[in-house]
Amino acid sequence: MKIFDLLAIGARLFPGNKAIQHLDREINYRQLLKRTNIIAEYIKNSNLESGSRIALMYENSIEYVILFFAIFKAGHVAVPLDTSLKPDKIKFIIFDCDARLLCFHSKYARFLDKIVDIDSPLKYIISDKDINLENPNIQIKKIEDILRNPSAPTDDPHPRVAYSMKKFELEKLYEKIPESSDELAAIFYTSGSTGESKGVMLSHRNLISNTIATVDYLKLTEDDSVIVILPFYYIYGNSLLLTHIPVGGTLVIDNRFLYPEVILDTMEKERVTGFSGVPSNFIILLNNSSMLSRRLKHLRYFTQAGGAMAPEIIKKLMSAFPGKEIYIMYGQTEAAPRISYLPPERLAEKIGSIGIPLRGIKIKIVDENGADAPVGISGELVTAGDNVMLGYWNQPDDTRQVLKDGWLYTGDLARMDDEGYFFITGRKKEIIKTGGNRVSAKEVEERILENDKILETAVFGVEDDVLGEAVKAIVVFKEGQSADAREIQTFCRARLAEHKVPKIIEFMESLPKRKSGKVDKLALKNCI
Amino acid sequence: MATVQQSDVRKKLKDFITETFLVGSDVESISDSDSFMEKEIIDSTGVLELTSYLEEEFGITVEDNELTPDNLDSVDKLVNFIQGKTG
Repeated sequence: MKIFDLLAIGARLFPGNKAIQHLDREINYRQLLKRTNIIAEYIKNSNLESGSRIALMYENSIEYVILFFAIFKAGHVAVPLDTSLKPDKIKFIIFDCDARLLCFHSKYARFLDKIVDIDSPLKYIISDKDINLENPNIQIKKIEDILRNPSAPTDDPHPRVAYSMKKFELEKLYEKIPESSDELAAIFYTSGSTGESKGVMLSHRNLISNTIATVDYLKLTEDDSVIVILPFYYIYGNSLLLTHIPVGGTLVIDNRFLYPEVILDTMEKERVTGFSGVPSNFIILLNNSSMLSRRLKHLRYFTQAGGAMAPEIIKKLMSAFPGKEIYIMYGQTEAAPRISYLPPERLAEKIGSIGIPLRGIKIKIVDENGADAPVGISGELVTAGDNVMLGYWNQPDDTRQVLKDGWLYTGDLARMDDEGYFFITGRKKEIIKTGGNRVSAKEVEERILENDKILETAVFGVEDDVLGEAVKAIVVFKEGQSADAREIQTFCRARLAEHKVPKIIEFMESLPKRKSGKVDKLALKNCI
Repeated sequence: MATVQQSDVRKKLKDFITETFLVGSDVESISDSDSFMEKEIIDSTGVLELTSYLEEEFGITVEDNELTPDNLDSVDKLVNFIQGKTG
C-alpha cells in the first residue's frame, strides 16, 4: 500500500463527496482522482528515474493536492517547500535533494531567477500560469494545458486495496500497515532551532501508519470537514490533508488567517467540524477576534500541536467552548508527525500533558545513559513505531544521533505519570545554563503567561560575562496593557526560583513567526 | 475629530509599512493597491502591530471584527478605513 491508495480509497468509497473547498472553488473525489491521474501520467511520460524528487513551491489549493498525489501515483518522492524561506535556502534544498521537477505557483515568480539558475538539477516545471525563465534545460508546462490534453485513460482502475473495501474499515487499514511500502515517499525539510535545514525522509509506511492512527483517535468520518489554515508543506498541515482524504471528508482551505475574522466566517459558512492550529493561532483567535462571541455550532473539535500551549490558554479555550472536544497533541516531523494525544475527556485533570501514545506507537523516558527513567522522573522522550522516519537525507551522522536501535530520540524532556500520561518538561536545546543552574525556557514562559497583561512571550539564553548565559524574555502585551521590566521581574520572582527570573526583559509589539505559526526564536536571538 | 489629510495618511502608512515590514524582506516596495496578503508582507501577528499603529497614530479604535481584508489589506484600503473612522 502506498500514499496514493489513500486517495483511491476516498474516491472509491465516496466519489460524490466534496473533497476540497477553496473559497468559491470546490472539487469532489471523482474529479480529484481523475485530474490526479492525468497529471501523474504527464509526470510518468517525463521519463524521470523512479523515485525522483519533485519539489512543490505552491500555496494550499486544489492544485496542490492534485500535484501532491500525482507525484506518488507517478512513483516519485514529494518535497514540499516552505515558501517563506529565502530564495537561497530554497535553491539549496532543490540542489540538496537533486529535485528534477518543480511544481511552482506563479505568485512566487519574483524569486524564480534566484531559485533556478543554469546549474539547477531541474528538468521540468509545472506551473499554474505562464512564467518567464530563461533556461533552455527546463521544460515548463501549465497545469491547465496538461489537464486539457490528457494522455491517459480517464477511467483509471483503482488499486486493489481500494476495491477490497466496501465501506471505510479502519481495522482493515490497520492490517494493511505492515504491508505498506517502506520506500521513501516524501522529504520534509525542517527549520530546526539550530538554523540548519535537514531533510526528514518519510516512507509510505511512516505516513500511512500515522494517518490511520490519527483518523482513529480523532474519530474522523465522511461527515468531517477541517478548516485548513496551516500550510501543507508543514507536517501538521500535511497531516490534515492525508487524514481527511481516505475517510471522504472535506478540506476547507482558507489561506487568510492574516485576518482571523474571515476564517471564522468561513468556518461558519462551510459548517466545518474541525479546527487545527498552533499556539499562536489560538492566542490570536481568543484575544483578537470575535471567536468568543460565536457559537460555531457545527464545530466538533479543536486540535492543537506545533509546540506547547500554555495551560492558561487551554483553560480559556475550554471555558469558551465547553461542549467541544479539544485534542492537545504532540509530535515532530521525524515522527510523521504524531506521537501522542491527550484524550479530550482527560484534558481537565491532565492539563499540561501531551497525553498517551497513538495506537502502534511506543514512548519511554530515558536518562542520560539511555536507561529507562522511573515514573515521575524527567528524561528524554524517545519513541518507536511505524511512523519513525527513515533518517535525514544525506545526513548519516545527524541521523545516527537521533535514531538508535529503532528509537527516535526527540530531544524533548518529559516525565510520565503513574497512569502513563506524559508531560513535557523542556527541550534539551532550550535548557539555559545560567550561573551553574539549568533553567527550562518553557517553564519561565509559562509563568510569565500567568500575568493577565501579557499576550505572548519568548524566553531564551543570551551570553553573559558573569553567568555564562543569562535568561532573557521578550514580552508582548495585550492591547491596552503595559508594564516595565521591574514589574515583570517581580511577578516572576513570586513564582520562580531567583536564578530563573529573567535578567533581561525587552518588549515587542509582536513575536516573529515562521510561516507555520511557531515563534522564530532564532530570529529573536539574531535580532540582539 | 479633525479630518486628516488623505495624502498625509497615505505617506505615514507607507513609511510605517516600509520601515516595519519591508526592511530586510524580499519585497523592496509596494504600490498602494498591492495586497499585503498576496505579497505575504505581513503575518497574522504583524496585523496586530499594524492595528496598534493605526490606533496610536490616528486616534481610532479598531474592533476585533474589523480586522478584515476589506479594511486593512492594502494602503488604499487602510486610507479608506481611516477616513471612515475619522470623518
